[in-house]
Amino acid sequence: MLFKIAWRNIWRNHTRSLVVIASVAVGLFAGMFMMAFFQGAVNQEIENTVETQLSHFQFHNPSFIDDKEVNYTIDNGQAIIYQLKKDKNVKAVSGRLVTTGMISSSSTAAGVEIHGVIPGDEKAVSSIFRDVVQGVYFTGLKKNEIVIGKKLAEKLGVKLHNKIVLTLQSKTGDLTAGSFRIAGIFVSRNSTFDETTVFTRFDDLAAILGTGDGIHEIAVMLKDGQKADELTKIYKKEYPLLLVQTWKELSPQMALLTGIMDQMMYIIIGIILLALMFGIINTMLMAVLERQREFGVLMAIGMNKPRVFFMILLESVMLTCAGIPAGILFTVATVGYLAKQGIDLSSISKALSQFGFSSIIYPDLQQSMFLPVILMTAFTAILSAIYPAIKALKFKPAEAIHKI
Amino acid sequence: MSIIIESHNLSKVYNPDTIPVKAVSGVDLHVEEGEFTALVGPSGSGKTTLLNLIGGLDYPTGGNVKIDGIDITKMSENKLIDFRLMNIGFVFQAYNLVPVLTASENVEFVMLLQKTPKREREKRAKELLVEVGLKDKLNKRPSELSGGQQQRVAVARALASKPRFILADEPTANLDSQSTENLLEIMAKLNKEDKMTFIFSTHDQRVIDKARRVVTLVDGKIVSDVKQ
Repeated sequence: MLFKIAWRNIWRNHTRSLVVIASVAVGLFAGMFMMAFFQGAVNQEIENTVETQLSHFQFHNPSFIDDKEVNYTIDNGQAIIYQLKKDKNVKAVSGRLVTTGMISSSSTAAGVEIHGVIPGDEKAVSSIFRDVVQGVYFTGLKKNEIVIGKKLAEKLGVKLHNKIVLTLQSKTGDLTAGSFRIAGIFVSRNSTFDETTVFTRFDDLAAILGTGDGIHEIAVMLKDGQKADELTKIYKKEYPLLLVQTWKELSPQMALLTGIMDQMMYIIIGIILLALMFGIINTMLMAVLERQREFGVLMAIGMNKPRVFFMILLESVMLTCAGIPAGILFTVATVGYLAKQGIDLSSISKALSQFGFSSIIYPDLQQSMFLPVILMTAFTAILSAIYPAIKALKFKPAEAIHKI
Repeated sequence: MSIIIESHNLSKVYNPDTIPVKAVSGVDLHVEEGEFTALVGPSGSGKTTLLNLIGGLDYPTGGNVKIDGIDITKMSENKLIDFRLMNIGFVFQAYNLVPVLTASENVEFVMLLQKTPKREREKRAKELLVEVGLKDKLNKRPSELSGGQQQRVAVARALASKPRFILADEPTANLDSQSTENLLEIMAKLNKEDKMTFIFSTHDQRVIDKARRVVTLVDGKIVSDVKQ
């Protein structure tokens, strides 16, 4: 009967109860939507980073990572690539030369990281060729072609087909330079990457560096990215003298970002629920004070304090329980729609791309998000009812009965 | 007849630290089983305060109250709630039914608190409501009942817990004469046939006329105690 009383009590004031139910629904929606939004942004960022820069895992000479010295190539690099291509888990493999140098136009110069790639192999590992907005991703017809980011082109004041000069240190330690013609200009989702990374063909760069068929980096793309950790372990054992790292190890800031996002999501949800808590406290307090005489009578006729406390808690939980399904339905419908359509944030795309985020975010609502948010909301409801319930317990029956 | 209620030198002072108001002062009262007693007196004479003290709704500032020999003024608040549930029935001036429950549910509710089985609760609630003449109103909520009908539900609720006695604070104050007449008949019948002890405060001469004992209070003191 306590359930019956609690349920009927919450419908004594329809408007007030509906406002609380709506608050719970909106609070839950806001919390889950934020989680889905951030999850979507992080997913895209990871996907973007993996596809354009890191791939699932990479091989390096352990000394290379420290200072990117030209001499630190991978021994038997070609043999390793051959073996990796036979692995059924591997989708594609690309051997790269990676070095740092200076890129100069007639007007200015900038420091860049130069990637020497075999276009055919690289296309299967990196999606950067899709981001070429002017020209092509290497014609294959001429020597010394270079593909640069639009931001760098603007900085250097160069256009498609203009010449630029790359100055770098060769294997022998001498400063050497090569003249390159711009074959393509790309715009990736990360403007910092666009400004600091250029691509040449493997052979052209190897000729300047004098590295022959030496390879600095082997990038591996898997059919299933989830297996990256597992396969990295296997290859670490197989090549103990090489450094085999997953994308998380290669970009600890990316792994950190994922962790920070998780924490941030909970902090934001916490703030939303805190606001919700004050809403529920206010409503429940009003409901309790309004019914002061009733509580006085209930205690007078023998309803003990734990029962009074439980009844108020029950009313709050019922209000919340009515709000939770509404919030979930609203979230699933909204996120379901936006996961297909995307949220276009092009008005702030510049700021987003500086952090490597895409201007269209596809929220990703994961099943694992539901339980913690629902539990947090339910916990908030219970917590919110405690103060009004304690207040009710302090009523003195003899006084409360005569309250109007 | 055995004594159910005894008060010794019972006092209640409100605002003892600021402007003290002596609501009840040195009251010695004994009530025997089966009495039909009216507490009368002008407004502010201490009738309601005395009922609250006897019913364990409030603690005295002096003296004590014993119910069946048990000093209820020494009980903790929680124990007192349980004691009231098992021993005392209340009828209030403003009916004070639970508005979201039907007449039958209001009567059942006290038995629920006493942990009476569902079937027994329903049976007794129905019997009591029939007894107070509300056979057709079992499933009506208080808002659908007249003042007199609500007060009869309140009497049924007070009886539901099978109390040792019923305290009624001006039970007819809000009722018209017909409803007052009906309620008094029911109370008198319960007193006569079931030996239910009633103590009620009242201003109403018709109620006073029905009482078999009239205790008059003035300024918190008993000034007369007459059996009629």
